[in-house]
Amino acid sequence: MMTKLRIGLWTVALLMIGASLWFVVGAPVEAQMGIVQKISYIHIPSATMTLLAFALTFAASIAYLATRAWIWDAVAASACEVGMVFATIVLVSGPLWARSAWNTWWTWEPRLTTFLILWVLYGGYHIVRSSVAESSKRTISSVLGIVLFVNLPIVWKSVEWWRGSLHPRSVTMTGDMRATLTFSMMAWLLFFAVVLWERLRLEVLQNAAETAVREDYAGEAGKAARREGVAR
Amino acid sequence: MIALAVFAKDLRLHARDARFLATLALFSLSLVLILSVAFGPLFRDPAREASATLWAALFFAGVLGLTRSLDFESEAGGGEALRLTGADPFSVYVGKAAAGFVLMAALCAVLLPCASVFYDVGSLEVLPQAAGVAALALIGYAAWGTLFAALARGAKARELLLSILLFPTLIPLWIGAVKLTRALWADGSIDAVRDWVKIMVVVDLLGIALAAWLYETIQESEG
Repeated sequence: MMTKLRIGLWTVALLMIGASLWFVVGAPVEAQMGIVQKISYIHIPSATMTLLAFALTFAASIAYLATRAWIWDAVAASACEVGMVFATIVLVSGPLWARSAWNTWWTWEPRLTTFLILWVLYGGYHIVRSSVAESSKRTISSVLGIVLFVNLPIVWKSVEWWRGSLHPRSVTMTGDMRATLTFSMMAWLLFFAVVLWERLRLEVLQNAAETAVREDYAGEAGKAARREGVAR
Repeated sequence: MIALAVFAKDLRLHARDARFLATLALFSLSLVLILSVAFGPLFRDPAREASATLWAALFFAGVLGLTRSLDFESEAGGGEALRLTGADPFSVYVGKAAAGFVLMAALCAVLLPCASVFYDVGSLEVLPQAAGVAALALIGYAAWGTLFAALARGAKARELLLSILLFPTLIPLWIGAVKLTRALWADGSIDAVRDWVKIMVVVDLLGIALAAWLYETIQESEG
């Protein structure tokens, strides 16, 4: 049942991504920026998914500290990993667009700078997670998931808080362009959900395998202790 | 009271390790020298370059100070003993952060005149205001640094991890410190960039508030 659901969701997600790319090709060409503007149909949804993923990491980290249920830590770590992938897409697609629109690959404007900081920090989350002792991994990761969230509002509001931002405060599109962006957003949202579910499934499997190994080890140790007792 | 005791203990341990303090001072001075040579000998905007040099050197050298204060906890079971006393974790945090602040302030007292002399900027009249800017930046550095140092305590390559987490987080503080110091050295006043004072205060308070919320959890995870 679950396998069928998984296959079904993957199929729908990939079909929607394919359809969104088809719509992007057919969307009107923007008068000033030309064809390069079409990158925004990937760039904007990816940025949205990044913020959504890191917000989910924050919420799941709080839930873990409140309940100590390992599944929340798994959700936080999975969301953070998926968020990093989307953040990388944003950081690659942005300069491709900027080269044409601003005549430079990179400029130290507020949104770009704060987003790069965000990427580095959440990269640090994964390094810390893999470096600390197993016994404290979940707690330390959750604390970090909460602390790093401070950067999200800064990225979000950077275009308003600092002068000299080249990013628009809000994206205004009409007609076919707006419809294409909305459909792209929905397609990427479903893709995000499916990838997150898949990553979470891996965490669940890993946890089950580790628990089985621990129980097996404990069982063997118990048998050995009993054998030693009988021998004495 | 607990905070004061931890503060005094950390400072005593720092003071006993003269070799470490000398290394810290020489390392930060080397950073100032390297950056001065890189920018000079003809400076385009001495006030800007001097303030960037000063704060880069302080922030980099500060990681050594934070790591050293972590060693106090791991050496001879000091951290474990502190936990067994049942001391309030936030008080322990405040004591450690305050000791970190004093260490950084001492370092700043050495580097500030050096940067001022090497770049030929600043005057004694702006010294009280410069001290205020330094206090704002170093409170934030100590607050966030102590929190992240506790997070990275059990990790491998913790100095690197500390830098990865701390430097990006403190960028608003670093920009603020550089802009305010530059304004003081170039114009003798911070009026043009006064907004950065508010940003730095917010960053400082945020670090302290997060530590108040989460430091106990970090400490429990090690128990």
